[in-house]
Amino acid sequence: MDRNYHVFSDGRLERSDDTLRLVPDDDGDKQYIPIENAEAFFLHGQIDFNTRLMSFLNDRTVALHIFGWEDYYAGSVMPKRGQTSGKTVVNQVRAYEDSQHRRQLAAAIVKGSIHNMRTNVVYYNGRDHDLDSVIEDLEAAATRVDESLPIDELMGIEATAKKAYYRSFNQILPSEFQLSQREYNPPPNEINSLISFGNSMVYANCVSAIRATALDPTISYLHEPGERRYSLSLDIADLFKPVLADRVLFRLVNRNQISESDFETELGSCLLNEAGRKTYTKAFEEMLERTVEHPTLNRKVSYQYLMRLEAYKLKKHLLTGEAYDSFQRWW
Amino acid sequence: MTDADPVNRLLATARGEPVDEPFRVTGVMVQYYYVCKRELWFESRNLEIDRENATVVRGTRVDETAYSDKRENLHLGMISLDLLDDGRVVEVKPSSTLTEPAEMQLSYYLWYLDRVADIQRDGVLAHPRERKREPVELTTERSEKVETAIRGIHDIVNQSSPPPAEEKPFCDSCAYHDFCWC
Repeated sequence: MDRNYHVFSDGRLERSDDTLRLVPDDDGDKQYIPIENAEAFFLHGQIDFNTRLMSFLNDRTVALHIFGWEDYYAGSVMPKRGQTSGKTVVNQVRAYEDSQHRRQLAAAIVKGSIHNMRTNVVYYNGRDHDLDSVIEDLEAAATRVDESLPIDELMGIEATAKKAYYRSFNQILPSEFQLSQREYNPPPNEINSLISFGNSMVYANCVSAIRATALDPTISYLHEPGERRYSLSLDIADLFKPVLADRVLFRLVNRNQISESDFETELGSCLLNEAGRKTYTKAFEEMLERTVEHPTLNRKVSYQYLMRLEAYKLKKHLLTGEAYDSFQRWW
Repeated sequence: MTDADPVNRLLATARGEPVDEPFRVTGVMVQYYYVCKRELWFESRNLEIDRENATVVRGTRVDETAYSDKRENLHLGMISLDLLDDGRVVEVKPSSTLTEPAEMQLSYYLWYLDRVADIQRDGVLAHPRERKREPVELTTERSEKVETAIRGIHDIVNQSSPPPAEEKPFCDSCAYHDFCWC
């Protein structure tokens, strides 16, 4: 399966013959990185690169996802599209313009998102946590989802569900790591910082997945197009955040693999430091490589590939009119 | 003109005559008509296939390497075919497992040459990996079969949605597999 590579140090990424080389600023050893089977590079440090590298990555259809100050997602440099399809984009826009069709897709996404949150809560409920009230709230939110509701109400239902869901974090996690309330820009404490970092990882992976199809990443259904740059990625990421980012967070914190020393706390903000980001991305990449038996493909697929399949499903729906059922964790 | 026989519309389109709604059929569409009608519908919508798919890579490689010194590529309107240096039309396939679709693709080329350009040629279906060649002639029966296929293709590509997925023994190696079944 295609791999992601994360670069944390500062330095220079360059083409060296037919491979890639990382030259760190601190006179450390040069590192060679295999480009074969690379899906994307995630640049977390300050990295210099030139146009020669860009052409090379473009030829190999490898993306760069760039994270800036405080590890906010800064943007992506995507390979020039190998595949374009005007018809796909036309159908994408038509579905957006048709308010009934848009609501139907937005409702499917909210439904999947709530289902995947609920699966996490149910899992921890069975492990000595009393989360019945959260499950009830999530189920109540799920029953309110209806294709006839306007988008802002669907958004509201998801927000309500998320609020209930985040309540469970305080029980699932040890007492020294509490969420209390979801906040970002900047995250005020460790858990908020982990959620933000994880969500940006899911988001960037969805950008790559969408790019593998001819879907236009800016035309979305639940989120308003252009709200942020790749709003379709926000739509799809909502389905995968509980399955990928939150599970990694729970595991790392509950197993003490992440501790307070992995964060840098400044006035009003708390962010993962380099060691913390390394630990997190390692666990996250392992999560992406996990596989599950797919019910209709008759083979095992990786969690990463599930995001690609979600983009395929949406595209198939838009082009063929066959029903779109959002990704809902089935295992 | 719009409800004319698809075969006549195709011929008029190929001859560059004015047609209200041009109708084009490529060789690969004829092949897909016999292999999988859903795949044909996807192809007609220019849906991209997975170029890294192992079967696609193998097929492309076999096609590019076989008889490379003896072949001449001929683009003729809506079809693109290969001529051998002895004047026969050759169609190269990596294996002989799906013979009928390949035969019909080749028959369509022969039919098209005959009807559009008034050129009569014989064909040869080649499986270089198996060292097998099979002559294909445009008989009256084959001509009729080609025309029936053209009408069938017309029906499929004019449907607003594709025929439902149907599990076939070769689905696993298809470049549309994941798209089709996800």
